[in-house]
Amino acid sequence: MTFLLVITLGLLFVYALYFAAQTARIGGNPRDFLDGGMTLPGWSVMFILPAIGVAALGVERHLLLVSRYGLQASHVAVGLITVAVAAVMFWNRLWVATRLAGLNTPGEAIGRYYDSIALRVIMMGLCILFALPYSANLLSQAALLVQQATDGTIPREMAVWVFALSMAIPAIIGGWRAVVLVLAMEALLMAILIPGIMLFGEIVLAGDIFPTRPMPVEDGIFWDRIPGVLQGYAGVGKNVPTGGIFTTVAISSTAISLTGIVLSPATLYLGQTARKGHAFGIGAVWLTGGLAAGILLLVVPVLAARMPAGLVSHAEALAAVVPLAGVSVILLGVMGALFAISFFVTGGTLLVFRELVHTYLFPNLTDRGQRLGARISLGFGFFLLGLMAAFMPFVSAVFASVALPLALQLLPAMVGFAFMRWISRGAVLAGIALGSLLVVFTEPLGLIIFEGLFVDLPWGRWPLTIHSAGWGLAINLLIVFLSSVATLRGPDMYQRSRFHRAMKAHPPASAARSGLLWGLAILWGFLAYGPGAVLGNFFFSDPIFTDLRSVMGVPSLWVWQMLFWLFGVVLVWWVSYSVGFGRTQEVTGKPMRLGMPRATRSPDWISSGLSRVVNRSGDAAADHPGQASVRLLLPELESKQPTVKPGRGKTRYG
Amino acid sequence: MAEHDPSSQLDRLSRHGLVMAIWAPAVFAAAVLFHAGYIYVTNWWFVAAFGSLIIAFCAHIIVNVVLKSGFTAGETALGSAILVGLTLAYLITILTASDVLVDRLMMPVGLGLGALVVVVVISMLISFGPRRAFEKFDVIRDNNLRAASRLPHRGGRR
Repeated sequence: MTFLLVITLGLLFVYALYFAAQTARIGGNPRDFLDGGMTLPGWSVMFILPAIGVAALGVERHLLLVSRYGLQASHVAVGLITVAVAAVMFWNRLWVATRLAGLNTPGEAIGRYYDSIALRVIMMGLCILFALPYSANLLSQAALLVQQATDGTIPREMAVWVFALSMAIPAIIGGWRAVVLVLAMEALLMAILIPGIMLFGEIVLAGDIFPTRPMPVEDGIFWDRIPGVLQGYAGVGKNVPTGGIFTTVAISSTAISLTGIVLSPATLYLGQTARKGHAFGIGAVWLTGGLAAGILLLVVPVLAARMPAGLVSHAEALAAVVPLAGVSVILLGVMGALFAISFFVTGGTLLVFRELVHTYLFPNLTDRGQRLGARISLGFGFFLLGLMAAFMPFVSAVFASVALPLALQLLPAMVGFAFMRWISRGAVLAGIALGSLLVVFTEPLGLIIFEGLFVDLPWGRWPLTIHSAGWGLAINLLIVFLSSVATLRGPDMYQRSRFHRAMKAHPPASAARSGLLWGLAILWGFLAYGPGAVLGNFFFSDPIFTDLRSVMGVPSLWVWQMLFWLFGVVLVWWVSYSVGFGRTQEVTGKPMRLGMPRATRSPDWISSGLSRVVNRSGDAAADHPGQASVRLLLPELESKQPTVKPGRGKTRYG
Repeated sequence: MAEHDPSSQLDRLSRHGLVMAIWAPAVFAAAVLFHAGYIYVTNWWFVAAFGSLIIAFCAHIIVNVVLKSGFTAGETALGSAILVGLTLAYLITILTASDVLVDRLMMPVGLGLGALVVVVVISMLISFGPRRAFEKFDVIRDNNLRAASRLPHRGGRR
């Protein structure tokens, strides 16, 4: 299997290299390297969206959880409907705002709308969080999978560096467009592999198919039902929940946490750089809500029932029959990780380059200079990724656990940007600060640090079976609403109102339809993964309206999941097509200026710091007076007499 | 001029990316299924392998229709070369391999290759109609182009 696996992974690399070279050969504007010319093909975006949703769950991790907890863990996949709704709504508004106000990155959009450098820094922090620890954790796991599959022939560290290099080279050559084109193919391959492996395994392997054969979970775990609405549970590491951890509150908070992947800067950037058309709608309704959620809800339980010992054992079982089929199983696990890594490292690095290097350090870079800078940044980013994955897998795993919940804390900021003008900057910042604090202290990151330095906390990870994202978002929303009420007439309200008035000229929908939409969404959420989901435990096996028992041969909860998956597809369809978020049209009219004008020179403290490093002997201002820092020392000011032009009030020194 | 226009080149690259995104997973699936068919004696694996290729071909035609394009010269050449290569490999295998292997492979692989040709012919008939589909292979007439053959009363087909 080792030889075939290496050949297959090598072919993936060749594919990526081919498209990188093809993209680079076209030439065009060098700046297109960073954003694909803001015209990424719609089909690629619509293929990638469902794969991003699946990446939020993690292919290998989700299979492991479903094989350990059964249908209660599988229920989390209903959250892909929420991902689809969030993606189509935020992408649409951000896409319009980008064309309307000439915005380049999600950080710039949020930062200029709220007129806040802090929000840009938070966005940049999220870029780094997703690009380094989150991706490094995935890379480490993928490399470990390869090591296990090859019986140590390819050690973990070697696999880490080979993968990092094989992803870095195409990204450095082809840039954002090439990476997106390659990821679209990988997304399609994953969509074929999951059901394909399931079908193949059921045909060639002995034993009954799930649910005829129950899920082989440990004693005390309810594999076919949800263990209640909420449990008085102190958290992972403190005690053990009864019947499993996935209560309805755990499912809903985990499902909502998946929305964090939509709010991750790279995902927002993908939507921002797409071409106009119907891609958002098709990607959200049919591919994410329909295909991806359907595969996870219908296929994964069947597949997981076959692999209680993990992917490698299943791969070996299939490889004993057909070697290439065993390779497919490993490929599924590895590619699920490589997809997310390539996407987040490339997107995150390009965004950090644009947000930090190009905006603050070298604002006057030419287009060619930007491309060169981006290439160097990508090399540096993938190198750091390899370093973290190879030598700091534990640190990566700890930091990776907070990536999605922290990204979710941007939800009020994005809702304010896209829909609600009364959400103010102060409210958003206060909400993010407190929400993030709660996230950190309900995840290993805060718990390990606090318990290591001070005393043991009475709670562990996810207390009361509520995901850290749920804890953070609850306090975040509370703070945002309360603070926004107090700042309704704040001085920055004018700019926000001006922006929303301009956005209203490109509306997706009528208000009446939107109202109905929210009512439907809340009702659906309550029954699909909210407290109402416990009804699904016995609704179809022991109906409450009759004394008769239904004999379906499948667990009632599975039928409930299928039913609300189908209702969910209708909901996404409503949002995308009836309300109109699923299509984007040419933005016409006068472009507007949002926030302060874009800086054409570095801030003084950065500029003077740089000049100390790069020009130690001379005066930077002598060569480039336009780019020089405005650094006047007090003695200089005192020694020079100001020249005053009569009547103009302009003052010149020297 | 269009050859050097980056926007048209980007459109071509985009279409090429979509076509490759369809074919690459389909070919991988076909390889796995073919491998299964080779190891097992069941012919249904071969049916599934060629089925996945036919599905990819249909998806390619749908892409052509949606993007209002046709098969490029490169795609036609590559497809023809692969089909001819596979047919030659098939014939050589039948002539040289052991009787057991020939018994196992001849019928399913032969029918599969035949099915591919039939699907291509059917797609051409649907896309171009019988006469223009036949003209695609009419190399002799193409070798003797005359300006008059473009006149409407002479058919005007060129």
